[in-house]
Amino acid sequence: MYLNVSQLVGENAMTLHDGEQVFRSIHDPLLHGDTVELDFEGVRVFASPFFNAGIGALLQDLPAEALKSRLKIAHISDSGARVMRRVIDNAKEFYSSSSAHREAISTIATDTGNSMR
Amino acid sequence: MASCPPLGHLATERFSLAELRIRIPRINDSAWDYQTLSRIWNEARSASPGRQVLFDFTDCMFIRPNAVVVLGGLCRMILREGGSVLFLASTMSASVLSVLQQNGFAHAMGASDVPWPGNAIPYREYSSPERDAIVTSLRADWLGRGWISVSDALADAIMGQVWELFTNAFEHGKSPIGVISCGQFFPKSRELLLSIADFGIGIPANVSLYRGADCSGSEAMSAAFKRGFTTSNATYPRGMGLDLVKEFVQKANGCLEIFSYGGHARIDAHGERYQTIPPVFDGTLVQIKIQCDDRFYRLSNELDQSFF
Repeated sequence: MYLNVSQLVGENAMTLHDGEQVFRSIHDPLLHGDTVELDFEGVRVFASPFFNAGIGALLQDLPAEALKSRLKIAHISDSGARVMRRVIDNAKEFYSSSSAHREAISTIATDTGNSMR
Repeated sequence: MASCPPLGHLATERFSLAELRIRIPRINDSAWDYQTLSRIWNEARSASPGRQVLFDFTDCMFIRPNAVVVLGGLCRMILREGGSVLFLASTMSASVLSVLQQNGFAHAMGASDVPWPGNAIPYREYSSPERDAIVTSLRADWLGRGWISVSDALADAIMGQVWELFTNAFEHGKSPIGVISCGQFFPKSRELLLSIADFGIGIPANVSLYRGADCSGSEAMSAAFKRGFTTSNATYPRGMGLDLVKEFVQKANGCLEIFSYGGHARIDAHGERYQTIPPVFDGTLVQIKIQCDDRFYRLSNELDQSFF
């Protein structure tokens, strides 16, 4: 299957709604073992909500290894690749945790490294 | 949205007990300036319903976008609750009046002045997250003005980051009057400054509600910047926006500051700082400052690596 993302969402792939459109188009084919090529030619601006809903959500039903072999990404910009990679890393962590663990992570008191304190 | 009476509507300044006159001094972006904004906000919000609030700029020689968006929101909140507002143009210096006319604040508040292109990034009020309108505005009014030497690819990357800030403001802010933005280009330092404000419940309240327990301003702000942290109940992973912007700003030698009720965050190349502070206003103000030159950016090429 081939999907031109700009034809689906335009040149700005930024919102959850944009991502959900992509998810709806590719989820079932991927689940049935098809190979999907996502072509980002013509997409200029990327933001994490798009990737969270469009790509990250795939990891709920498909292991990363399956997506690695079945989902081909073409013509994505450097900045788009950077955001997508972070979202996928986050999604892997999210879905590898049990729901109880996810809850616990969100309630941990925060104490990030702080070089300016 | 309802509009204010025109700037300088009062030609002769005769005041009654039904009017509250608030003096606006020079407002920059130091801690003292934010205390000043806080004083202005509290004074205006304490006015009894229906009272007219007059803003006097006699002592103001300089005003930055952070103050402009907060004043804009303050005006909308007062109007929403049945009050009225007057910005006294007759008290403004030529430079302050010029800034407010140029960036469109005066026009938005009802004056007939038409904004003009200059170093201002126009004052905008958004009632909903209009993706294409915001991107078009950022492209036309901000990055496409010929001030800066960034590649198209970098301009697109910056827009994606700024969108993360807008989407956060809409999604988590629950602002009753939408989101307001305004900015400025400083030619000497080649810096772009953009302020985005919402007037909703803010980050500390969102984090406290999500956790079911009160947390301090610094704890809430620190949590908001953690990768993967979200107060959304979506079934898929969220919580990447501020983390991505943080990384971008630090790599690009820029600065990001957020004031949200009692929480303050400052991110720059030197690190990150989260503080509990006295609230500046009832809402969240995001201020992002970026350098306008490709040489400050190192967008790494990660295309050769596997995504999964």
